[in-house]
Amino acid sequence: MSEKIIKNTSDLEEAAAAASAVNGTSASDGEPRRDKKHYRVTNWSIIKNYPHYTPEERKHYTYIFWRRVGGWIWPIFRAVLIFGLAFVILYPIMYMISASLRPQAEMHDPSVMWIPKNIRLNNFKDVWEAINYPDVLWNTIQLNIVASVLQVASCAITGYGFARFQFKGKKALFALVLLQIIVPPQIIILPQFNLFRNFDIFGLLNALTGSTVSFINNNFTMYIPALFGNGIRGGLFIYLFRQFFRGLPKELEDAAYLDGCGPFKTFISVMVPNAASSFLTVFIFSIVWYWNDYFISSMFFTNSQTISLNILGLANIMSLKLTGLVGLASDYMVWVEAGCLMAIAPILIMYIFLQKYFTEGIERAGLAN
Amino acid sequence: MSKKKKETSEVSENTPKVEETVEKIKEATDTAKQAAQESPVVKRSAHNTAAAAAFNAAGEEVDVRRQKGEKRERKIKTNKIPYERKKHLYGYGFIALWLIGSLWLFVSPVITSLAYSMSKTTLMDKADALAAGYTSAGIRMEWNSFAHYIRAFTGDADFPRLLVESIGEIIPQAFVIMIFSLFIAIMLNQKFRGRTLARAIFFLPVLIATGPIITVINGDMASQGISGATQFSALFKTDLVSELMEFVGIYNINPQFTTFIEELTANILNLVWNSGIQILIFLSALQNIPPSAKEAANMEGATAWEFFWKITFPIISPMILANLIYTIIDAFVSTDNEVMNLVLKQSQLGDYGYSAALAWIYFAIIGAILGLVVVIVSRFVYYENE
Repeated sequence: MSEKIIKNTSDLEEAAAAASAVNGTSASDGEPRRDKKHYRVTNWSIIKNYPHYTPEERKHYTYIFWRRVGGWIWPIFRAVLIFGLAFVILYPIMYMISASLRPQAEMHDPSVMWIPKNIRLNNFKDVWEAINYPDVLWNTIQLNIVASVLQVASCAITGYGFARFQFKGKKALFALVLLQIIVPPQIIILPQFNLFRNFDIFGLLNALTGSTVSFINNNFTMYIPALFGNGIRGGLFIYLFRQFFRGLPKELEDAAYLDGCGPFKTFISVMVPNAASSFLTVFIFSIVWYWNDYFISSMFFTNSQTISLNILGLANIMSLKLTGLVGLASDYMVWVEAGCLMAIAPILIMYIFLQKYFTEGIERAGLAN
Repeated sequence: MSKKKKETSEVSENTPKVEETVEKIKEATDTAKQAAQESPVVKRSAHNTAAAAAFNAAGEEVDVRRQKGEKRERKIKTNKIPYERKKHLYGYGFIALWLIGSLWLFVSPVITSLAYSMSKTTLMDKADALAAGYTSAGIRMEWNSFAHYIRAFTGDADFPRLLVESIGEIIPQAFVIMIFSLFIAIMLNQKFRGRTLARAIFFLPVLIATGPIITVINGDMASQGISGATQFSALFKTDLVSELMEFVGIYNINPQFTTFIEELTANILNLVWNSGIQILIFLSALQNIPPSAKEAANMEGATAWEFFWKITFPIISPMILANLIYTIIDAFVSTDNEVMNLVLKQSQLGDYGYSAALAWIYFAIIGAILGLVVVIVSRFVYYENE
């Protein structure tokens, strides 16, 4: 009781001498020490008295000195660095916005740096009409969401299988997952293309109808691999889910097993709700990667059905639309920039709303293990 | 049961003469109660032996079964598949979908592509295929042995040169990306005002850099001249960094070092834009460092430098390896890569066999480099559980 009172008084700094004595003893009892109480000495006095210190004191006070100086300098340095790098990241986007709002003539006007003299919103309208934006957007969204849902579901099931069950050949099969992460899509895309170009189930369709089915330009070229856990970066997702499910406590499932649930029902009713936030994180990643995919969709789609496919050829499209001829890409920069903005706008909007899951949900998504 | 109790209590109040009989009745009800309390357990165990074994603290059920001999156990075994094997089967069930898909969409294309690389390929449409005696259209192969591989190294003017160049570029850049992203991740992991905003901005490249937009951005930066970021990165290169180096007094001590630094900073835009995912992964790894470690280090008087090398680095070292592998693969596979472009060009020209051969050579070299990197870096990796 008396100790408590003395502590209180020490907090109020009324009895400095007694308090310091009490604090000293209580610190050894496990009470957190307070730097302020112990090191009243200022930086200046450290420098001034430095020659008079013993070697041990010197070591001690140098540490304190650098700690304090670092405590001042580091946040400033950090702020400058973060500001500078954030500028590097935002610069292209700001430039994009600025360029997309000006008439093409002002692109080469040295007097226009950031703010255009005439604001021209028709750039967006032109692109909107040229690439048939609503249709392309709708198709892209449809493709992304269906493929991502299938991908996340199949990869989660597979990842769970790898995480919680022991079976023969598990290591070899998991090596296959790792191989899928490493092997670039460029190697297997051609045989895959051939597969979908002449789609057939064990020669059955050819025998029945006399010809094979072509899935080219059909969204099923994306849905089928996603359904079988082999979509874009499928191996990586399986790996993430395996890591995540390994981290969940086993007691969760044991309780469900005792209640008479089968493994699949356990997975659906116990594991999935527990993993909801990481499902969302992986789903967002899947959406982003499907949205940005250029290489695989350029193989399977010949009619520029997704937004990414339209971006690189946008200069050509615009020049054909506006003049009827193929011109220099640099003469159509404003429309290209406007198109870029329109392409990333939906995903930026998604990012703004789900930013929390991106920056904080990832910590629970099993990436860390 | 309760009715009986009430009746008996009424009886005991009204007629004190028959106390003895009442007591007997009470005893009877008590035993009945006990029986009633035990009976649910017995019933349950009869229904579900596994659950009962868990619930039955005394373990009597199990003991009884053991005493009766092996006959009963055998019966159970023959009736059901053993639990372990059942679990095996469920394991296969869970990965079945992926396994079928992989055999169909991954393993078979890989083998096909290997076969392409060793044969002369021709693309046939339906009519030609029927004329040649096939049932459907597709790519036809003729065995060609290692001719494509030999051609790649002896007959191709570009391939060996591009190969050496891209490897020479990617490996140092991967290490630079590692250091840079780790540094940024450590910074973003500290507490400061506007951290959420800073994180949101630093993850923006993750959204954009994997898509074709980055090509447009890079195009802007490289070729737009007056108002593009060539000017911007040139500003970094010629003015600030050289000035800084002169100021610190390290300018032109070693010309190679100076050019290295200049090239590095000229590339700052690429660096920032290519390390979004790496920052993300490092940041999540840094969350694994227990706060108590930081406290303990502070108590012991460790400097930030010591804390990094003795605590942070060992804890995140597995992630450094994983990140390095990811970075190398990503750089080698990206469509900006010159070798990849060559491979794609060959396949667009219709020379599938040669294209596949180039891809396989490239992949073999990436594999060898990755193996080497993993072997070297693994020596510095610390696993907590081992």
